[in-house]
Amino acid sequence: MKRAIQVFALLLLVLGVAVTPSVAQGKTDLVIGFAGLAQETLDPPVAGHFNKYYLALLYDYLVGTTNDGTLSPKGGIATKWENSADYKRWTFTLRRDARFHNGDPVTAEDVKFSIERNIGKRSTTGYAGPLRTLIATIETPAPDRVVIVTKEPTLIIPTYLSRALSSEGMVTPKKYIESVGDEAFARKPVGSGPYKFVEHVSGSHIKLEAFANHWRTGTPKYKTITFRIVPEETTRIALLRRGEVDVTDISRERVKELEREGYPMHFRKEDAVVSMWTVLDPNGGWPAPMKDKRVREAMNLAIDRTEVAQAIFGGHALPAAIPLGLSWSFKEIGLRVTPEMAYPHDVARAKKLLADAGHPNGFPLDVYAFLLPGFPEGKAFAEAIAGYWEKVGIKPKLIPVDYAAFRKNWVDRKAPGATGYFNIANRNWVGAYALLEKMAYTPSKPNDTAADPEIDGMIKQVMSQTDQAKINALMRNIFTRLRSEHLGYPIVYLHSPYASSKALASWNPGTVMYDFFFDELAATK
Amino acid sequence: MLRFVVVRLSQSLVALAILSVVVFILARATGDPLSMVLPMSATEEDYANARAYLGLDRSYLEQYVSFVGRAAIGDFGTSIRARRPVSELIRERLPNSFKLAAFAMGVSVAMAFPLGILAAVKKGTAIDRGAQIVSILGQSLPTFWLAIVLVEFVAGRLQWLPAVGDGTLASYVLPGFTLGWFVVAGMMRLLRSSMLEVLDSEYVKLARVKGVIEPRVVWLHALKNALIPVVTFAGIYFSILVTTAIVVETVFAWPGLGRLAYEGITGRDFPVIQAVVLVTAAIVAVVNLGVDCLYAVIDPRIRVAR
Amino acid sequence: MATRVLGGPDSPDAGAALGGVGGHVVARPRRMKWPYVPLGIIAVFVLAGALAPFLSLPDPQAQSLRTKLRPPVWEERGSWANPLGTDRLGRDMLARMVWGSRVSLAAGVVTVLLASAFGAAVGLVAGYYGGRVDGALMRMTDATLSFPIILLALILAVTVGPSFTNVVLAIAVILWARYARVIRGQVLTLMELDFIAQARIAGAGGWRIITRHLLPNTFNTLVVLVTLQIGYVIIVEASLSFLGAGIPPPTPAWGSMIAEGRDFVTSAWWVSFLPGIAILLVVLAFNLLGDWLRDTLDPKLRQL
Repeated sequence: MKRAIQVFALLLLVLGVAVTPSVAQGKTDLVIGFAGLAQETLDPPVAGHFNKYYLALLYDYLVGTTNDGTLSPKGGIATKWENSADYKRWTFTLRRDARFHNGDPVTAEDVKFSIERNIGKRSTTGYAGPLRTLIATIETPAPDRVVIVTKEPTLIIPTYLSRALSSEGMVTPKKYIESVGDEAFARKPVGSGPYKFVEHVSGSHIKLEAFANHWRTGTPKYKTITFRIVPEETTRIALLRRGEVDVTDISRERVKELEREGYPMHFRKEDAVVSMWTVLDPNGGWPAPMKDKRVREAMNLAIDRTEVAQAIFGGHALPAAIPLGLSWSFKEIGLRVTPEMAYPHDVARAKKLLADAGHPNGFPLDVYAFLLPGFPEGKAFAEAIAGYWEKVGIKPKLIPVDYAAFRKNWVDRKAPGATGYFNIANRNWVGAYALLEKMAYTPSKPNDTAADPEIDGMIKQVMSQTDQAKINALMRNIFTRLRSEHLGYPIVYLHSPYASSKALASWNPGTVMYDFFFDELAATK
Repeated sequence: MLRFVVVRLSQSLVALAILSVVVFILARATGDPLSMVLPMSATEEDYANARAYLGLDRSYLEQYVSFVGRAAIGDFGTSIRARRPVSELIRERLPNSFKLAAFAMGVSVAMAFPLGILAAVKKGTAIDRGAQIVSILGQSLPTFWLAIVLVEFVAGRLQWLPAVGDGTLASYVLPGFTLGWFVVAGMMRLLRSSMLEVLDSEYVKLARVKGVIEPRVVWLHALKNALIPVVTFAGIYFSILVTTAIVVETVFAWPGLGRLAYEGITGRDFPVIQAVVLVTAAIVAVVNLGVDCLYAVIDPRIRVAR
Repeated sequence: MATRVLGGPDSPDAGAALGGVGGHVVARPRRMKWPYVPLGIIAVFVLAGALAPFLSLPDPQAQSLRTKLRPPVWEERGSWANPLGTDRLGRDMLARMVWGSRVSLAAGVVTVLLASAFGAAVGLVAGYYGGRVDGALMRMTDATLSFPIILLALILAVTVGPSFTNVVLAIAVILWARYARVIRGQVLTLMELDFIAQARIAGAGGWRIITRHLLPNTFNTLVVLVTLQIGYVIIVEASLSFLGAGIPPPTPAWGSMIAEGRDFVTSAWWVSFLPGIAILLVVLAFNLLGDWLRDTLDPKLRQL
C-alpha cells in the first residue's frame, strides 16, 4: 500500500519537474493565435481572400495599399500605373529592387505569369471570374513594364489586382513554379514578401521567417511570425495570459474581461455588416408575404437594433440602416447615411403594417440559425431576431444548421421565404460593387437576394461606366433604393476585437478586408 | 492460432468493405463541398471547373471504384479543402492522436491502480466509497467542460501547465488527464474486484490463519491476476481514445485525427471523411484482434469462436 | 463446477475464469442496504422533469435581452425573479434546468432503451444459434462498434440538421453493439448449462428457449448495463452540443446549456456550472445505482 503511494508520489514529482516554464516569448518572435486559418493554403489562386493576413507577408501585391485601403505606389510591386484614353490598356511600371526568396528578381514575366495563374481554371479566388471575363491579354513590353489589355473599358483593374480585395494580385515566381510544379509549390511556397515560408503543420500552425532587407519593411523586427490554430476561445485567452500568444481574436462578449486585466484591445470598426435577407422563390421573385413592401418594412421595424448591439454584441456594434450596406465604401461614393434612414424600433407601427398587408395574425417564418467565422454569436443572434418577430405576431421557427446547409437551401432556393444572414466583410467601393453584383442582381441568380428590376438596371450600368462621378451616383442610388424598398433586413455593423500583449499596444490592424497589416507591425522603416 | 488470426482478419476486411460503402454514401450525403471552398461570387462555370478538376463529375460508381482501388494501396485521394493528399494529412495527425492516447492511458493506469487497490483494501468503508466516487466522477463530467475549466484555471490563471501542445511532456498533462479520467472508473472496478478476489481466496485465508502474511506475495498475485483484464480493457479503450478525442483536441488545440474528422465533416470534405472513418475502423479492428489474440494465448481455456 | 465456455475478453465471466486461487468465485455477503442517495437524486430530477409543466415557472424559452446574464439570487446583482440567474439571452436558469431535466433524461432513457432492445436481441440470437449466424452478427457488431458515435452524430447533424431525434438515433445506432457483445457472452455461458440442454430435449424451439430461458437470465445484466449507460448518453449529448450536433436551441437540454455557457466560465459561471452540476449528480447517481444493482443482482458481473 505504502509502496504504491510512494510510486504515485514519485510519478507526480517527475511530472512536476518536467514542467518546463513556458518558452519566454522573446520580442523577436511574434505569435498570432486565431480560431482557424480557413483552408491553411499557401498558394494564392487556391486561398482566396480568407488567408490574406499571412499571404500578404509571404507575397507582394502588384498594387499595394495603405492600411485604410487606399491604393499606394509604396506598398506594391507597381510604382506607377496609368490607363490609356479608352480605359482598355493599363500600364504598370514595376520596381527594380524586388526579389523572390530564392534570389530571383521580380520581373514583368513573373507578374504576367502570376495574374494568369491566379485567375486560371484552378483558381478559387474571389474575383477570378470577373477578371477572366475582363482581361483580354497581358503584355510585357519591358522587364519592368506590364500592360493589361481589357475587353471592355474599365476603371477597376488596379483595384482588383491590389491588396484591397482578394489574392489575384499576388506575385509568384514563374521560373520556380514551372520547375517544381503546382503541388510542390503549394507545399513549399516562394514569394517576394517580407517573410519567407518555414513550415506548415496541418491543423497546428504556419511559421514564417524574416526576409532580410525587404523594400516594404526594411529588415523585419520579428525574426519569426507564427500563426497558430487554437479553436477554443478560452484556450486562446489562456495563451495570451501565458504570453505564448501576442495577438488573438476574441469574441465581443469577453472584451470587458480582458480590458479589465489591462490587455490592449484593437478594434476593426464596422468590420462586417450583419445583413439578413429572404430566400427567394425558385423563379427569382419574392415569396408570398415578403412580396408586399409593407411586410418587409414591418420586419425591419420590429427589431430593436440598439438592444441587439448592446445585449448580443456587448456594445461593440452599431445599428445598420442599409441592406448590404458596406459602409467602408460610403465615403468614396459620397453616400451620407442620414438619421432619417435609420430604422426605429416601432412595434405598434410594425403590427399595423402587417395588418394592412393582410397579415393581422402574422405568418409562419423559418429563421435559419448558424455560426460563422468571426460571428460566434450567430445562433444567439438569430434566436434574438426571431424573438423580436414573434412580438409583432409573426410565427418564427428557428432552424439551427451549419452555414453550408443553409447556403445550399438559399442558393438552390429550396426554402423560399426563410431568412438567413451573413456577416459580410466590409470593403471599398469596387468590392462593394462586386458584392452587389452577386447579391442584388437578378441575373446572378443563385445569390440574388433583392429581386428588383430597377436595381438590376443600375448595376448593369455601373458595369460599363468609366466616369467615376457617374459610378458614384449610381452606387448611391443603389444603396438608397435598397433601403427605401426594404430589400433586406440590415441589423448591425460589427466591430471585431483583437486582444494583444501589452507590448503591441500601438498596433493598427487597418480597415482592409481580411488583412491585419502585420507587416507594418514588423516594419523597421 | 494462425487460422484464428486469418479468419478474423478476413472477417474484418469484409466489415471494412461494408463500412467503405456506408461511409461513401454518408460522406456524399453531407452536402456539396464546393460551396465551402468556392467564394460567394463563383459562377456555374466555376463550379463546373472545380468539379471536373476534383473528379466530382464522374458517376458515383466510378468514384467509388476509384476510391476503393486507391484506398487499398493507402491513397485516400486529395482533400478538397486543403488540396493536399489525405494520406499525408493523416500521416501528420495520427501520431499526435496516438501519443496523446498513450499518455492518457498512462494517466488512467496511474489513477486506477491506487484507487482500485485502496478501495479493495478498505472495502466497505468510506474510503472505498470515496475511491469509487472519484473514479466515477471522471465519467460524470462532460469532457469539454472539464477541459475548459482546466485551461482557464490551471493553464491560464495559475499558469502551472501549458494550455496547448507544444512538444513538451508538460503539455500532455492537461489533455491527457482530461481524456484519461474518463477511463479510470472501469479500470478501477476491475482492479478492485481482482484484489477482492485474491484477498478473499483460500490461500490468503490460510495464510492469515497461520498468522503468516506475506504482503508481497499477496500483492504480486493480485496484480498478476488483474493484469490481463486490465490490458484487455486498456486495449479496447486505447482505440476509443485515439479515435474519439475530438473534444479534447479542440480545446487543447491538439492537431490530431479527431480534429481532422471534424474539419472534414463540417467542410463536406468527402475524401477526408472516408479516410478517417476507414482508418478508425482499421485501428479498432487491429487493436481488438491483438487483444483477442493476447487473451487466447494467455488463457487456453478460452475458445473465442464456436 | 461445470467447465465454462467463455465468450472472450468482454464477457462477464472472463475475470472469473482467471481469478481466484481456488478457481471459483467466492460468494460475497449481499449488500441489503438500499442506495438511498442515488435513488433520491434520480427521483428529484425525474419528478422535476415530470412536473415541469405544472410548476409555475417562467417560460424557459422566453428571451429578455435586458436581463441577460443575471447572477443567481444569492449574488450581488441577483434577484428572486430569477433565483438561479439568467443565461446569455435572458432566459430563466431555474426554468431551463427543470425543463432541461425532461429533455436530457428523456434523451438518455429513450436512447438506452432502443439500444438495449436491439442489442439484446442481436446478442441472444447470435449466442443461441452460433456458427455462421453468430459470426456474421458479431462482425456486424464489431464494425458498428468501431464507428465513433461522435463522428456519426456530426455527420447526421450536418446532413439532416441537429435535432433530438438525430441525437437519439446517432447514439442508439452504435450503442446497441455494446449490449450485443455482452449479452452474447452471457448467452454462451448459459448455453452450456444443463437446463438449456434439457429444454432442447423436451422439444422447445429456438424462440421459446430464447424468450423463456435465456432472456430472463440475462435480464440482470441488461438492467445493470442500462442503468450505467443512461449517464453515458447524457454526457455524450453534452459533448455533441459542444460540437454543434446536440439537441438544438431553443430547447433546453443540460448539455447544450453547458456548451452555450462555455465562454463565461469565469464571468457568468452559473450558466455552465448549474447544468454541469445537474449532469454530474444525475450521472453519478445512475452510476452508483448501477454499481449497487450489479453487486446485488449478480456479483459476477464485475466486468461491466
